[in-house]
Amino acid sequence: MTAPTLTVTVAKDLADLIPVFFKNRQKELEHLRAALAASDFAQLRQLGHRMKGVGNSYGFAKVSEIGKRIEDGAKGSDTASIDGCIGEYADYLSKVQIVYE
Amino acid sequence: MNDLAARGGATAQDAYRVLVVDDDPDMAGYLAHLLQREGLTVEMASDGESALVRVMTAPPDLLLLDVMMPGLSGFDVCRQLKGDESTALIPIVLVTALEDSESRVRGIEAGADDFLSKPVKREELVARVKTLRRLHETRKELESRRLAAEVQRKEAVRRAFSRYISPRLADRIADAGESGDPFQGRAQRTSLVALFADLRGFTRLTEKTEVGAVVAMLNDYFTVLTEAAYQHDGTIFNMAGDSLLVGFNVPFPQADAAERAWRTALEMVARFDPLAAEWKARHGLELGVGIGVCGGEAIIGNVGSSHYASYTIIGDPVNTAARLMQLAAGGEVLLCGPLYERVRHLIPAEQVKERGDVTLRGKSEPIPVFAVRAGAGARA
Repeated sequence: MTAPTLTVTVAKDLADLIPVFFKNRQKELEHLRAALAASDFAQLRQLGHRMKGVGNSYGFAKVSEIGKRIEDGAKGSDTASIDGCIGEYADYLSKVQIVYE
Repeated sequence: MNDLAARGGATAQDAYRVLVVDDDPDMAGYLAHLLQREGLTVEMASDGESALVRVMTAPPDLLLLDVMMPGLSGFDVCRQLKGDESTALIPIVLVTALEDSESRVRGIEAGADDFLSKPVKREELVARVKTLRRLHETRKELESRRLAAEVQRKEAVRRAFSRYISPRLADRIADAGESGDPFQGRAQRTSLVALFADLRGFTRLTEKTEVGAVVAMLNDYFTVLTEAAYQHDGTIFNMAGDSLLVGFNVPFPQADAAERAWRTALEMVARFDPLAAEWKARHGLELGVGIGVCGGEAIIGNVGSSHYASYTIIGDPVNTAARLMQLAAGGEVLLCGPLYERVRHLIPAEQVKERGDVTLRGKSEPIPVFAVRAGAGARA
């Protein structure tokens, strides 16, 4: 993964919302892991759907993209695929850099 | 102030209120942030149930409604609000990450006014809200104009009819709209009760009292009689000299027209009593109201020429009531036989004096007549 893909430009007026946004993404990550451990695909589907909606709205296209893959994986009860997505999501959240414009 | 807030000059009182409903706090916060930047007042609800409560307690001007929520879905909330007359006109924008056309169809079927796709683009959100706000304000403006026109129309009807009828009847005509205007119809035959009242001793009054005082006394006299007629929803058809003609069951049906007429007669005598006492003290004149009441078939309508016409009642019961009035002494009510039968249950027997069959002036056949002294004990 290259550095430019982990740098996200966010509108300056959203700056106040971003700390809470990331706090909630970390919580989301824990919920994803717990749901996968419990093979709760309905929950996984809902979490993926939510990520898909909210990520891009704030400017984080990657969050939406991973969310869509989790939602699709949950529809097919594809544990391996979802596991991969969760790992990718955790990596992304730990490395993403934000630039305000 | 930005464009959205500037429309209509948003103040604390008339601020455009948006309710954002989303179970995802980040999504709700994002939408709220963008709308607040546009100067709008934003409230948030995190599920369908609490959204319904919010709308019922304080209806917003617009709802941004997420579709996929635990419990009631956005479709469910939308359907409920659009199915309720009191909330059906609140615009609802469904905010959804569902891309399929089936979801859109479901949204349309649920009554949604517009859609926003997640991810939500701020330009699109602002444009949609701006359009819906414009529609909202146009609708409110049209509604207030319609209400103002309606108030004006009712006031005109009230003014036009208030010479003839009680304020209550004028309100009924005004509220009934054009189709309810009873004064425009052609003359027709109908069943009615006519009440004639006049002043016993009026001639002496005019001889002994100066003109200005007579007019003032007549005004007081007609005021109390008119109030009595209006109290029982009688319609005044004629006022001439010192006599007053009041009709019942016209122009609106009154199943208890006879009872209303009888109570009006009592009321007229009762209301006139203090005035008579005052006149006696001031002018030394003994005056009283004589009343004749009769019911039957008569004609109601506009009678006259193209230059002058009056809305009136004509026919046998009207003539009979007039003749009875002429025979009545001050404080006395004369009733024709059929009408007496309809109200006898209201009159103490000891107050009734059967006059027997009387041939009234201008009538070929005698008719039964009953006289009642209208005192305090006679009032029903």
